[in-house]
This record gives sequence, C-alpha cells and structure tokens, in this order.
Amino acid sequence: MFDRVVRRPRMRPLARVHAVVLPVLVLIVGSGCGSGDDGDRLNGMTRTPPTEVGRVSLPDVSPGGGGRQAELRGADDGLMLVYFGYTSCPDVCPTTLADLGMALKGMPDGQARRVEVGMVTVDPKRDTARALNGYLGHFFAPGRFASFRTTDGDELAAAESAFGASSKLGKPDRHGSYEVAHTAQVFAVDGTGKVLVEWPFGTPSDDIRSDLERLLSDDGAGSA
Amino acid sequence: MKKTMFLSAAAVAVLAIAGCGSDDSSDDTTAASDETSVSDAWARVTTPTQTTGAVYMTIESPDGDTLTGASVPSSVAAEAQLHETTDEGPDAGDSMDSTGSMDSGDPMMGMHEVDRVEIPAGGTLMLEPGGHHIMLMDLAKPIASGDTIPVTLELEKAGEIEVDATAREE
Repeated sequence: MFDRVVRRPRMRPLARVHAVVLPVLVLIVGSGCGSGDDGDRLNGMTRTPPTEVGRVSLPDVSPGGGGRQAELRGADDGLMLVYFGYTSCPDVCPTTLADLGMALKGMPDGQARRVEVGMVTVDPKRDTARALNGYLGHFFAPGRFASFRTTDGDELAAAESAFGASSKLGKPDRHGSYEVAHTAQVFAVDGTGKVLVEWPFGTPSDDIRSDLERLLSDDGAGSA
Repeated sequence: MKKTMFLSAAAVAVLAIAGCGSDDSSDDTTAASDETSVSDAWARVTTPTQTTGAVYMTIESPDGDTLTGASVPSSVAAEAQLHETTDEGPDAGDSMDSTGSMDSGDPMMGMHEVDRVEIPAGGTLMLEPGGHHIMLMDLAKPIASGDTIPVTLELEKAGEIEVDATAREE
C-alpha cells in the first residue's frame, strides 16, 4: 500500500481535516510502511508499486479538448494533477483547487507550464461542460486545465478504478438535490501514466508546490 | 430568552468596551469573553457558474451552546444550511447509481446537512473547510472577493447573532 511517507502531511490547523485524513494515516501505519527518514522524500503519499493508470482516457470537454478522448496523464516532460470532484461542491473541491492554484502560482514559470490540472466530474448530470470549464477557469489559466466529463457510468467507474478512486451519488431528496461522496485526493500522473504522488485533502499548498518542484527538477522522478 | 447582537468581524470596539481579559491579541473577535463570540467569519469566493457557497467562522462559548441554524438575506442565497463534510467509506449509504469503484483503499469525502452542532462549555466550534460549515444554496449572484455576507446564526442559549462574513479566496 503506501510505502513512503516522508512525514505526516502538515495539515491545516483544522480538527476536521485530521479526522478525514486519519483513515489514510491508519492505513499507512497498518501496512507497516513509512520511515522516519525524511531524506529526499515527498510530502504527499506514494505507493509501491506505483499506481499505473496507463492510457485511461475520458472525453475532454475543455475549450481545447473538443470532447475528444484524452488520456489522464501528463505530457512527456510534465505532470497532470487529476482530481475527481464536482462543481456544486462548495467545500472540499474549491479548497483543493484553490490549494493547487496557489501551489502553481508559487512555482517557477518554466515548471508550472509543465503541469496541467485535470478534473473529472463525478456528477455529469449537473456538471455541464460550461459549468466545468467555468469552474476550473476560476482557479487556473486557460489552457492549463482539462475538463473530463462522461455520461457513461461504466466509463467513469473504470477511470476511477484505475486510480483507486471512487464516488457515489446519494438519493435525491424531495427537491431533487442529492449528496455526492468522492475520493478527495489529488493524483500527480507523469507522462507514462504513473501516479508519482497523491495529496490528501488538506495538504498545504506549500507542500504541494515543494513536491511538484522536486518532481519536475532535472533529477526528479518526473524527469525519469 | 432571545437576544440579538449586531456584530461585525471587525468590531474591535466591542472588545475594548468589554475589557476582554484574554491575552489573545486577536482583534477580530465579535463579543466579550464571557459571551458567545464569533471571529474570522469568511465566505469563499465562488465562480460564475457555481450555485452554492460556503461560510466559515470560529464560534466560542464559555458556557457551552448549540448552533441550530443560520440564515442569509435572499439577496445572497435562497437558503443557508448547516453542513458537515465527513469521511465516508465506499460502502456507506445508498447509491443512486453505480459509478463508484468499491474496491478502493482511498476514503471518500461526503457532505450532509445537520440539524445542530454542539459547542462544549469553554470550547470552540470551528466552521472550517473539510468540516462543519454553513452552505449557501442557490446563490443569488456569485460571491466576489471583498463582498460582505451578512449571516444570522441561531444558537440555543445566545439566541441570534448577526455576523458579517468577508469573502476571500483561499
């Protein structure tokens, strides 16, 4: 399972965040992994072997995507930060995307240009392409994000499964609104389709930025 | 007994008048130290296509209290609800469809409405990202940076407390 955790992610000073992250940490401890050696390790979580998402693809409905199938992986020399969420999420999703946006803004331009954010909507019924693009456009510059949307539940489930992610829509209430549960971490995928690191909800933007800079450095894992 | 306090997140004067003895130099607490007080009230900026928003704050209650509701003017949103974001296992609850993979080791996060949130005596309730928050439903217009969102909190003991949440990116 998780094998390399440099240190417990320095979470926001929020009790609830700890409650959410705790199961992940328990998982880490339970697997007998982890090390006290900080060394060159990343702030986020890594797995051995790393998750391989291969060439999994979904329709890219962003302005540059044209609805064509696009792979959820980075460019040859870059990373795609893949997130499964939905736009009517007022709490976890915007918090996460804002943290990613701050991390990218704090990076050298040359490295930041090698990073693309890919958000997969887990609520395609409510998330139109326009809603998804407008949402991501609030956090990221044009051309720096991809909006993935499929109305095929099996296709979405297959993509989620490749990442070890999941989502679930609750039963509609009398007003027709429903709750959505979803995996909340961000997956950094390199050009070969390998997940190099995962950041759980609440990972500070500075920790994300630090990991990205390390991965995108000349001798980082992202350049391997 | 219901009392209404008109409070602002920047009401430093209240602190000065109350002669708050705390050694905390925070200048944004909204009531005296022997009463329920609210500080750092903020709302997240929303995108033009978002129909929901979230408001966060810190509520302190020396004697303990219970947050039972919140409201905002219709010019802000149709409704305000108390919500909690929680960790949810893949098998929790009923599923409307089967888009989820059930063999994941990654926890999911979900959000649901709650009727009340307890504040222990001498304790602090943090309405914060990833935890309890006030969810704004059907926003009348997008929330822009610097906007002031008037929120009325309903507490069992303290009654109604009005607080201004300032919108910011985070």
